[in-house]
Amino acid sequence: MTNSKMKPHHDMGGDQAGPITPDRPGDAIFAKPWHKRVLGLTVAGGAMGAWSIDTSRFWRESLPKTDYQSFTYYEKWLAALTNLFVAKGFVTRDEIINGLPSGPKQPRHDAALDADQVLAMLAAGARASRPELTKPLFQQGQKVRTCLPDATKRQMPGHTRLPHYAADKIGVILFYHGHHVLPNSNAHFLGECPEPLYSVEFSSADLWPDGLAGDVVIVDCWQSYLEPLT
Amino acid sequence: MPHDHHDEDAHSLLPSEPALRVKALETILVQKGLIDPAAVDAIIDQYEHHIGPQIGAGLIARAWSDPAFKAQLVNNTDGILSDLGFGGRQGEHIVVVENTPDCHNLVVCTLCSCYPWPVLGVPPAWYKSDAYRSRAVREPRQVLAEFGVIIPPEQKIRVWDSTAEIRYLVLPMQPAQSQGLDESELALWANRNAMIGTGLPQPPVKT
Repeated sequence: MTNSKMKPHHDMGGDQAGPITPDRPGDAIFAKPWHKRVLGLTVAGGAMGAWSIDTSRFWRESLPKTDYQSFTYYEKWLAALTNLFVAKGFVTRDEIINGLPSGPKQPRHDAALDADQVLAMLAAGARASRPELTKPLFQQGQKVRTCLPDATKRQMPGHTRLPHYAADKIGVILFYHGHHVLPNSNAHFLGECPEPLYSVEFSSADLWPDGLAGDVVIVDCWQSYLEPLT
Repeated sequence: MPHDHHDEDAHSLLPSEPALRVKALETILVQKGLIDPAAVDAIIDQYEHHIGPQIGAGLIARAWSDPAFKAQLVNNTDGILSDLGFGGRQGEHIVVVENTPDCHNLVVCTLCSCYPWPVLGVPPAWYKSDAYRSRAVREPRQVLAEFGVIIPPEQKIRVWDSTAEIRYLVLPMQPAQSQGLDESELALWANRNAMIGTGLPQPPVKT
């Protein structure tokens, strides 16, 4: 695989792995009560508007490899959320280490989410599409080649949504989705830098030694992940 | 490991370590005025009791019953979801992909766990597992077999890796046995896994 030494631990498409355990009817939506608390805190924290989903993802990916691999799903969320609250200056390291707030009860923060705002916040979401600034470079049906993931990053260590398995491969433009916020810069507060976003179709046979020629994998790629095929 | 599922429940009255960490973080955030616990409760209530795969199943059932609605659902997805009040967080840009006798669709997120929350709720544990994220793009037919779904060789598989903010919802083929049923009955056939692509519509289990 291309550049496999640099493949980060969260980028696991195509890795060898064991069997999948489907759930059963009646299984709880949240296996443990604390799981739902982590979800609620993460969504409420995100609603403060101090960071984007791209930043949240980058901080989860940036957990040390041993933590990423040993933590359960919601432990990763909790660890990344805690780190983000500290990094953005809302909470101090000492408070986290001591497990206690350092001072008296403070008034509600201006950005804090109120209970009566929750329904509207969930219904509104946060659209990633932006007005079309330029015409898309690529047309439906056109063949393109993907870059290497590191070539798409704006800083190191950086963030990209180009998986290693789909790097330096030839694919075909399936859809154009308009301009979308670029995670590579937005994750680091370097601006939204909207770019044309495409669904790119790859033949499984081109991705995997054992891939079937008729089967395909579709990856959503920003324009700067792609080069015209010459 | 025999104690895998019990290490947080048995032998001790103390909560598990992650449970304590969440509690500590929430205590700090509340004391600092950053988080309102009632807002956290309201978010949990939505995902535990209101936003779930029954919403997606209702859409699929209506699409099976009404060709005009199906055309809208496929071609103007965000518009129709917004009109029906089913848009929003983690489903701002939904694309509906339709199964046909020639093509079966399967959805994954290899980089994290992206999933169309407003129509399917929070993703199940297996969707977020390393095993599913690793294998779905490489050996979808074997993965599907582990869910009890056998795709014939002549039916191609399209695996959608949700790498951007586009969320994919599979529109399964309506089973012949369900023809003529009304929408509320059909909604019971359109199960969650069928809308991810790891399952097919099934007759509802009689209770």
